Amino acid sequence: MKLSPSQFWRIRESQYRLIITECGSCGRKSVFKRSVCPFCGSSNVKHVESEGFGKVLDVTKVMYRWNSSDERPPLLVGVVELDEGVRVVGEIVGVGDNEEVKEGTRVEAVLRRYASDDPYGVIYYGIKFKPIKTA
Amino acid sequence: MGAYIVSGAVVKVDRHFERGYRDLAYDVVKECPDCLDVDYVVISSALPELTAHQVDLSTHIAQWLGRRVPVVRVESGETSGLAAVDLAASLVSSGRNRRVLVLGLEKVTDYPTYVTNYFYSLILDYEFEVLRSVSPPAYAALVMKELMRGGVKRECFSSWAVKMHENATSIPHAMLRFKISYDSFKDSQVLAEPLTLHDSFALGDGAAALVVSSSPNTNASSVEIVFSATEVGLPAYLRENISDLTASVKLLKLSLERYGLDLKKVITELHDSYTPYPIAILRSLGYLDGGCDLNEFEYLNTSGGLKARGHPIGATGVYQAYEVFKLLTDRLGSKTASTDYGLVHSMSGPDNVSRVLILKR
Ligand SMILES: [Zn+2]
Repeated sequence: MKLSPSQFWRIRESQYRLIITECGSCGRKSVFKRSVCPFCGSSNVKHVESEGFGKVLDVTKVMYRWNSSDERPPLLVGVVELDEGVRVVGEIVGVGDNEEVKEGTRVEAVLRRYASDDPYGVIYYGIKFKPIKTA
Repeated sequence: MGAYIVSGAVVKVDRHFERGYRDLAYDVVKECPDCLDVDYVVISSALPELTAHQVDLSTHIAQWLGRRVPVVRVESGETSGLAAVDLAASLVSSGRNRRVLVLGLEKVTDYPTYVTNYFYSLILDYEFEVLRSVSPPAYAALVMKELMRGGVKRECFSSWAVKMHENATSIPHAMLRFKISYDSFKDSQVLAEPLTLHDSFALGDGAAALVVSSSPNTNASSVEIVFSATEVGLPAYLRENISDLTASVKLLKLSLERYGLDLKKVITELHDSYTPYPIAILRSLGYLDGGCDLNEFEYLNTSGGLKARGHPIGATGVYQAYEVFKLLTDRLGSKTASTDYGLVHSMSGPDNVSRVLILKR
């Protein structure tokens, strides 16, 4: 067993939800539930939950295989700026054959599979992003 | 009391199928007779727990070499090697030790490439990056795209790789000792668009040894460590611009200013795991302004860099320091240099941490 249920359980809030850490000292915001502001080191922080919408700042199509999970290339990895003004990095899924994801594409957070041990093992789920269909 | 590099050796970066960690350690110290005349050993290695199932590697190596001197291992991702040199310099300049052996060791070719790629990806944050399918080449691709939006042409990145391969042809311990052409990029495997395999480092096993001493050799064959510093960057996804490698740029700027150096003249080994990184750094430092002429730099990555000499992850910094030491005191392969300063830069991931070392003849 290479995945630990307890390791993932500890970080569940940052993986299942889009928590933003707001710093009361420098005023900057960062993704994930943190005890300390990554910009200034202050622990004067509070946590709010993102609405889950944002836009792609940049994206790359990853073509090579770099792990043994069932996630096979190609996959899209991008930096997303949430509407709350915070950046997060992650996978962009649910893109149709005729769709294009690029700078500025609107996306929403969805819960998807991250990793699994083997067919009978632990499965991790977490946030990925999906383009918002426009009519 | 100072810190001086007085001796060293390297083995060829390669796929050493018949050599494990202990064999590579033996191979390199065999080439360096006074490397075992030391009172402390610092081993740098990033991946032995993952690639060789070995905890406390340094103790087992000391036992295997029949030298039960005090030993410790340093690990700091891709910068492990320079972290080890930094520690050795502190040990001798503080007066605690007389001579310290720095031994960079890495064994990375025992698994299919995708497995090693995964081990390597763990230089990033496992919980917040790796689990989210973010890998080192994905970041390098995003840096490359941002630079291209800022006007850098694709050929600029290719020219880095072409130059590194050309440099490596005269370096006996380099992994890839052949030239490549611009045309070869067209057929190169895409790792993460627009980054290709030709934009990536060569992954190989390696072992490099250096002796750091509290006093110089009586002849001219030693260099002084005049500067050694570390800077931790922000996680890449939190940066305003992902191509701003601010930790590296800050350290390099500081060291160039303090010693009045110009990268066009001084011996330099830059960390070029992926071609966008050295290009981003040189541009931030004010070089390559009007284009991408790498021939303006007299001694830039003479070794061929991570790109062509190869990147034995936790050992690479020791290779870089060895190469600058050899260029300053003697020759590196068929290359010589007429300058008094050499600079080594190492970083892990997209500038998560950066280290710079300055050596003076
Ligand atoms: Zn803050």
